[in-house]
Amino acid sequence: MSYEVPGKLVTTVVGSYPYFPEALKALQLRRRGERGREYEELVRRAIARAVEDYLSAGIDVIADGEQRREDMAVFFAEELKGFRLSGPVRIFDNVYYRRPVIVDKIEWDHEIIVEDFRYVTKLSKGRPVKVTLTGPYTMYTWSLDRYYGDMRKAMLDLAEALSMEIRALVKAGARYVQVDEPALSTRPKKEDVILTGEALEIMVGKFSNVKRIMHVCYGKLERLFPEVLDFPIDQLDLEMKNSNYALLKLLREYSFDKELGLGVIDVHSEKVESVDEIIEGIRLGLEILPPEKIYVKPDCGLKRLSRETA
Amino acid sequence: MRLYAGICGSFPRPPELRKAINEFREGKIGRGEFEERYRSSFRMVVRLQEDSGLNLLTSGLLLWDDLLRPFAENLAGIRLGRLLRFFDNNFYYRCPVIVDQIKWMRPIILDEVRSLSEVTSKAVKAIIPGPYTFLKLSEDRFYGSRDRLADDLIQVLEREIESLSDLADFIQIDEPSLVDPELGEDDRKWGVEVVNRLLEAVSVPRDRFLVATYFNLDPGSYSILLGVEAGLHLDLSSARDAEDVLRREGYSGDLLSLGVVDSRSIFPEKPEDITGRVEKILEGVSVNALIISTSSWLDYIPFENAVEKLKILGEVLRRLEAGSR
Repeated sequence: MSYEVPGKLVTTVVGSYPYFPEALKALQLRRRGERGREYEELVRRAIARAVEDYLSAGIDVIADGEQRREDMAVFFAEELKGFRLSGPVRIFDNVYYRRPVIVDKIEWDHEIIVEDFRYVTKLSKGRPVKVTLTGPYTMYTWSLDRYYGDMRKAMLDLAEALSMEIRALVKAGARYVQVDEPALSTRPKKEDVILTGEALEIMVGKFSNVKRIMHVCYGKLERLFPEVLDFPIDQLDLEMKNSNYALLKLLREYSFDKELGLGVIDVHSEKVESVDEIIEGIRLGLEILPPEKIYVKPDCGLKRLSRETA
Repeated sequence: MRLYAGICGSFPRPPELRKAINEFREGKIGRGEFEERYRSSFRMVVRLQEDSGLNLLTSGLLLWDDLLRPFAENLAGIRLGRLLRFFDNNFYYRCPVIVDQIKWMRPIILDEVRSLSEVTSKAVKAIIPGPYTFLKLSEDRFYGSRDRLADDLIQVLEREIESLSDLADFIQIDEPSLVDPELGEDDRKWGVEVVNRLLEAVSVPRDRFLVATYFNLDPGSYSILLGVEAGLHLDLSSARDAEDVLRREGYSGDLLSLGVVDSRSIFPEKPEDITGRVEKILEGVSVNALIISTSSWLDYIPFENAVEKLKILGEVLRRLEAGSR
């Protein structure tokens, strides 16, 4: 079955979707190390339900809803070689989580999300499927490093390992590859932005036949400029609604001409935006870019919302 | 020169305490049982510091949910707001929302500091949030004037410091905002002025005060920091060139705390390397009292790794003491 993606104002999602009960049960099994048939079936059922919601909403470029992933950094740390999980670390109040710990050289030794990509493609009724991977900067800064003691070396190894996964995804037919770097806007250092560009070159630079997307959100996004303009990406996917489209001014200042993932839905609020509100957001985007270069989507992943709101 | 080793601020909550807090908040245990379990964790954290050879102890701040929380919860005029990121950490604090005039009602950390001084014969450090960082990390819906808000914050913190003065050997005023790289020069200078106004207001001798900065240190902010009329704690682990800045610009105060053990990393650190770094700093810096410390609080790493940090601190102290004999 084929599906023609519109030539302008393509709609898409950032990645995550509220967990279905099947996914929550699968995550429990995964935590216990039980990754057998029951686990796989539960994950598949959850992915199928996310896809069903995307299709019924008429989204042009869909994803797997990240139903297999409890946390975007922990998931890849569990799958790549060189990581283990730490003891609990506080995130706020009395809430703790386990952080990935780098204990050896980071390497890729098996396909991680390729089967999920194939499965969603089967269900997508011809719509393109976007794959999402947590980027080297976010993976490194959200981990504890016991092995490298050198951010640059670790990030470049991460980029190499993740590029192997992308190679497998591209071989399986993926044409929309998104690298998620939410940590990038939270730190002030310019050299980190430059290093991320270098890591992205390793990770996605060679895949010029796919649409390469980087997603960043919440924080001082202006710190990424102007270096981000030279990143080897075709599309920059940004949160816009939550910050009241303030970033559009910055994009105009830098004569931004890549494709833009325009966030028009605030994922931190259970209030559902009206169609008029969304149209107004798109109009603001159209003031700086032609419709062919605008992808319309939520600010970020939808997993923190209730399914009804999402 | 008097030589101390001690952590900068908090110690991770022991697993048993995390469990007790959850059970207490869920109503599964009463206050009596909770306090008993807290005291057991508190004694364990004190013992861990002592057994590692540290000679300047903190309470571990085991019940503090964040730097501002005990104060935001116990001062009049403040209610708790949303969770916000604490500087560049994957750690969040609850933003104090100032809705009325801030007033000091009762001692806030006195019991905690008293308990520490009762169970240890080592020197004791009390910690309070500084007025500038408090102001910067809060949301003001009442004063509409940073000067008037700063005046009242200084007043309440002065009351708190006076209540502690007999129990603590050192009082540390935490001011990470003073080295926030986002700050403009004028803002930073005003921040130093606010801290100095607090120091002028209290009757405790200046050589017992430490103003703690962490997460950053660059040449521009360091030269302004030197205007603080008390000892300084400097994070020499987070910023890549912080030690160069210190060596190049010097230090003329009486009390200095060096955050040479990285509180946000678990990469193995060698006591001999850290000792070498401190000795190199001391070639150009002369103080009456030197504290060897973690770069900041220890909330950012797991409990077992924090225990490793204590041992490193103790070992560095032993090596420095052996070297100075």
